[in-house]
Amino acid sequence: MKNRDISRRDVLSCLGFTGAAFALRSRRDAIPVIGQDPGRGEAMEPFTGPGPNPHWNSVGPYIGEPQKSPLLLLTDRPVQLETPRQYFRTVFTPNEAFYVRWHLDGIPNAVDLTSWKLGIEGNVKKPLALGLSELMRNFKPVSLAATNQCSGNSRSRLQPRVPGGQWGNGAMGNAMWTGVPLRELLESAGVKDGSVQVQFQGLETGQGPSGLPSNVFLKSLDLTNPVLDQCVVAYLMNGEPLPMLNGFPVRLVVPGYFATYWTKCLTWIRVLEAPDENFWMKTGYRVPDTPRGNTSPEEVKAGNVKTVPIGRFPVRSFLISPDGSSKIPSSMTVTLRGIAFSGFGRILRVEVSDDDGRTWIAAKLGEDYGPYCFRSWDMAWKAKSPGGYSLAVRATDDKNNTQPDQPVWNPGGYLWNRIERQEIVVGETS
Amino acid sequence: MAETKRICRRISLGVGVSIIASALLYADLKKGYYTPSQLGSLQQVAGPQLVPDSRYEVSAYPIPPPDLAPGDGLQEVRIYCNTCHSPRYITMQPPLPAATWKSEVNKMNKEFGASIPEDTSSKIVSYLQAHYALENRR
Repeated sequence: MKNRDISRRDVLSCLGFTGAAFALRSRRDAIPVIGQDPGRGEAMEPFTGPGPNPHWNSVGPYIGEPQKSPLLLLTDRPVQLETPRQYFRTVFTPNEAFYVRWHLDGIPNAVDLTSWKLGIEGNVKKPLALGLSELMRNFKPVSLAATNQCSGNSRSRLQPRVPGGQWGNGAMGNAMWTGVPLRELLESAGVKDGSVQVQFQGLETGQGPSGLPSNVFLKSLDLTNPVLDQCVVAYLMNGEPLPMLNGFPVRLVVPGYFATYWTKCLTWIRVLEAPDENFWMKTGYRVPDTPRGNTSPEEVKAGNVKTVPIGRFPVRSFLISPDGSSKIPSSMTVTLRGIAFSGFGRILRVEVSDDDGRTWIAAKLGEDYGPYCFRSWDMAWKAKSPGGYSLAVRATDDKNNTQPDQPVWNPGGYLWNRIERQEIVVGETS
Repeated sequence: MAETKRICRRISLGVGVSIIASALLYADLKKGYYTPSQLGSLQQVAGPQLVPDSRYEVSAYPIPPPDLAPGDGLQEVRIYCNTCHSPRYITMQPPLPAATWKSEVNKMNKEFGASIPEDTSSKIVSYLQAHYALENRR
């Protein structure tokens, strides 16, 4: 009966038959005709409002720009691009995926480093004009990990909606910035007595009449602001030259502050004897002088809202993955991953709730690269049973600021930092 | 002959096992769906010619075709608004109250020095209100 023994060959041929059976089965299931499944291959449902944007990112199409991976298009001229969610799986956002926001359409396509000089001028004892090689050679470089977040990040969440760049959550990024401390440049030039502010101007220009905000973008910081001691004029971003769209050859880094102060293609540092009253300080980028910068359309209409220039960004945290785009099998332990940051201090705690905020569980924090850097977090999570889950995440910084669960509203669409939620569908396993 | 028997046996064994296996292992599969679509397609950007001099250059920033609603005032929008920014600054906006559109155009004139003639300004405002307001935004 030795022929009855099942040999290895028999087993292999059995497997072959089984495979063939599967092939036949799936051939029957498939409809191998193109165009038979109208639900697939179509664009995401367009959404403009008036409700809040329900997506994590903005709703625009992808676009390929110089030195960039495909990013989400907000506007093409001037260029505004949002970073897709998946790039926040890492603490340091890749340069090619780093979001882009310009105000005026005259964005440099080329910079000649023979003629380009960084000017330190205005109310100084010795005006300076330093080339890139002098910045690299004459000053000891410093490196700083810092988050850059657009003032209008998440503007598309506000209710009622407000005009402006309709960002999802991807108008932010984090990089290791290397360059010259701003203080050393100011000391080299010698700030004269009677100075009040320092103004920053980059290479961007617009089509508007000279001196108007449609022609020039100017931002200023008070000379008494302690953040000046931490500012860096950066010529390296994650150890690489800055992409043109992120401010080549140098950009100002203002740790903890919204990106409006992080002047790209920085070319003029100007010490002022009087406060800067240009549009971008006096009218634009201002927030209500209220807790969280919160107000209402009624208060604005009544003219009751006193405003101040926007400053540091409030504490925020995000779940990056899973992103809700596919189901998770029940009883599978998956890793929740995300980031947290605050302009006011180090992240102390990130907590996750899967029961609508009744209970919060502390996540494990990743490596600490300093108080201004993204802090990664992760946590093992298992859904007990199939169904819909809402995962909420909130962070607390070392000034004891915790993300609130209330929305914020102001006419500029700034300072959004409400607790984020992600709907997750958990499927049956067997 | 023996060989034929052997093959027949193996076939019957194989069929039997495969029926059982496919019944046990059968998962609700769905596969082989494709559809014609423009979505997956995005051209790669060509880089500039690089020479080791002091000029650091990138290629031109692309402008995809604008997608403004047809209607009275479109021509004026194309001429005046497009001076400083592309029409995507309009299509990106959420549905806005009519008054907000008026103040946006007003801001372009007063703050940004657009100096659009008054009757053209009102035509632009009417166009924006007719296509991008709360009542009619698509």
